[in-house]
Amino acid sequence: MGRIRHDAMDRHGGFEVVVACDTALDPTASVPMVTDPMAVYDYAPDVIVCSVPNMMIPDVVCTALERGKHVFSEKPPGRNSADVRRMMEAEAAAQAAHGGRVLKFGFNHRVHDAIEEAKKLIDAGTMGDLYFMRGVYGKAGGPNYAQNWRNDPALSGGGILIDQGIHMLDLFQMFAGRFTDVQSFVQRKFWTDVPVEDNAFALMKNAQGIVASVHSSATQWQHTFRLELYLRNGFISVDGILSASGSYGTEVLTVALNRLDATGSPIPNPESQELRFTEDRSWDKEIAEFHAAVVEGAALRCGTSQQALDVMELVEAIYAADPEWSTTRQQTPQTATE
Amino acid sequence: MQTPVFLDHLPDIDAVAGQKPAKYRLRRNQALGALLLDPTDPWQERKCCPACGQASDKNPIFSQALMEFRRCSGCNSIYAARTPDQATLDRLRLEQIAATAAEPQGDREFEFTSLLNWISLTEARLERRLDRVLDIRFASQAPAWPDATERLSHNRAWDFLHLEPDSPDFAGLRAAIAQAAPRAILMPAELDRAADPAALLAALKDAAAPGTVIFAASSCADGLEYEILGAESPSFVPLDRLTVFSIKGFETLSARLGLKVLEVSTPGRLDAVILDRYFKSAENRSIPFWSSFFREADKNRLRDLQILLQRSLKSGVLRFILET
Ligand SMILES: [Zn+2]
Repeated sequence: MGRIRHDAMDRHGGFEVVVACDTALDPTASVPMVTDPMAVYDYAPDVIVCSVPNMMIPDVVCTALERGKHVFSEKPPGRNSADVRRMMEAEAAAQAAHGGRVLKFGFNHRVHDAIEEAKKLIDAGTMGDLYFMRGVYGKAGGPNYAQNWRNDPALSGGGILIDQGIHMLDLFQMFAGRFTDVQSFVQRKFWTDVPVEDNAFALMKNAQGIVASVHSSATQWQHTFRLELYLRNGFISVDGILSASGSYGTEVLTVALNRLDATGSPIPNPESQELRFTEDRSWDKEIAEFHAAVVEGAALRCGTSQQALDVMELVEAIYAADPEWSTTRQQTPQTATE
Repeated sequence: MQTPVFLDHLPDIDAVAGQKPAKYRLRRNQALGALLLDPTDPWQERKCCPACGQASDKNPIFSQALMEFRRCSGCNSIYAARTPDQATLDRLRLEQIAATAAEPQGDREFEFTSLLNWISLTEARLERRLDRVLDIRFASQAPAWPDATERLSHNRAWDFLHLEPDSPDFAGLRAAIAQAAPRAILMPAELDRAADPAALLAALKDAAAPGTVIFAASSCADGLEYEILGAESPSFVPLDRLTVFSIKGFETLSARLGLKVLEVSTPGRLDAVILDRYFKSAENRSIPFWSSFFREADKNRLRDLQILLQRSLKSGVLRFILET
C-alpha cells in the first residue's frame, strides 16, 4: 500500500518523500529507509503516511499527531471504535496545540468514479427518495489466509467484515447516513482454523427507515463487488470495483429511470444506461484531497475521523448483533497483546 | 467523454420491416424520383465529405441506386454526392407529414421516455440545471411528443421549433434559439436529413449561449447494419440519409465547429433484428460468418449481439451530447 501511495504522491506533485520505514531495508529504494518507526522523525517530515497493520495504526497515528504531523492512514482505522476514539482525541489535541492538523483515512471507495457518479445521480434528486441498498463484497480468502495477521482478531479486530466489508458499510453511510438498528449472522465456514469470520450478513435500518443489507465474504470464490440502490424513480447499481489486482473487474454503473404506464405505475424492466469505468483514479483523488487539506486548509469530505468512527461502530454493531458469534468470540483466547 | 450503453428490450421487427415503414419508404422514394426530374435543378454537388472534409474523389461509391452516395475512406461516413437545397428538403418533409397525418401514428411512448430520461440523467450527471429545452423539429415529426413532455417531463420548460422551410444558413433556427434562450437543445432527427449538417450545427453553436447542452441523434455509418447490408439496409431511405455520420466523422466535425463532445453512444436497437430478418428471408445470400450466424440465431443471441454492438459503438444509431 505504501508503494501505491508513494506513486500517487509522485503523480500529484507537491510531495517530497524524505524517508520510508519498513520491516526490512530495500537496497534499491530511491529514498532513505529505516526500520525503526521513530527514526522517521529524524528526517523532520510534515506528513506521515501510515500503511501498517491494524493494531499498529493507533500508535503510529497518535505519535504523529502528537508531534504535529499531518496524517494519512490506511483503513480500517485500527481494530475497533476505541482505537478510533483514541486517534480522535490525539487529533483534537493536535488541533489545539498546532492548529490545522489533518487526519484522513483511506476509504478510497467513496472516490471511485462509478460511486461518485451514483452519488451525483442521487444528489440531483432525479431518482427520488432512497428506499433501500444491497451490497455484496467478497473474495476467495487469499494465500496463507490462516497465517495472515489480518486473521488474528487481536491484531486486526476481526475478519473479512472489518477488512473488506467495511468499505461497503462506509458507502452505505455515505449514501444514507448512520445505521443504528442492526441484525446479523456472522459465520466461519471454510477457514475454520482461524478465529475470525469468513462471512458476515447484516440487515440494518437507519432513522429515516432506509434499509440496507450487506454480505461480506471470504468464500465468494468469484471476486465480487456489487452495490445496488433502489429509489422512488428507478435504480442504480455498481458492478465491479477497480483495484490494484484488477480481479473485481471494471466498474460498471447501471442506472434506470422508470417508465410509467397510463395510470402512472412503473412498467417492469425499464431501459437502463450502462457506464463503464476502466481507470482507477481513486488513489490520485484521495491524495489530491489530502494535499488540498494540508496545503490550503480545505475541509475533508472523505475519510474523516468521524466517518471512521461511524463505520467502526457499525462494524461492532454487526458483530454484536449475532449473539452466537459474540459469545464464541469472547471465548476465543486472544494471544497477541492488546 | 462518456460512452454509455442503453439497454432495453429488442423491438419487434415489424417496427422496421412492416407495412407502414414500407409505405413510408415508397413515398419518400417517389418524392426523390420527382425531385431528380425537377427542371429547376435544386441540387448542389458535395465536393468533400461533410463530416471530415476529405475530398470526394478519394471516397469510393457506396451506392448508385436512385442517387449516388459515397463512403468516406477517411472517416467512414456515408454521404449523398449531391443534395437538394434545405428549403426543398423541408418542403418535401412537410408534404410527407401532411400526407400521412390522418394515418394512425403508433405508440411511441417508449421512444419519448428514452429521450426524456436521457436528458434527466445527463442533467444529474453534469450537475447542471437543464430547465429550458428547445426541441428542434421533432414535434413536427412526432405529433404526440409535446403532449408527452407535458405529462412526463416535470421541472422543465419546453419550446418547440416546428418544421418549416429554412434558408441554407438556418436563419429561422437561429432566430428561434435566440428567442427561446434554451439551456439544452434536443435534435433527434435532423442531422442525417439536412442539406448541410455543418451549417445546421454551426447555427446551433452561434445562436445558443456558451454552455448550452445539445442532445443530438442520427443514423450511424459504423453500424453493423450498414457495414453488412450497405444501401440494401431497410433503414437506408436516401432522402432521410443524406449524411450518415460515423463516430469519427461526427467527432471531427464537432471539433472543427468548436463544439465539445461530452458523450457518445450508439443506442440503436435494430441492427440485429434487421440482419436476422434479412438473412432468414434472403436464403441464397452468403456472407462469411454472418449468414450462418443469423440463420442459427435465436432471440437471446440477437440481444447479446445488439448489446455487444452498442458496447463497441457499432450500432446503426448514434447519440451525441455536445456543449456549445
Ligand atoms: Zn469523412
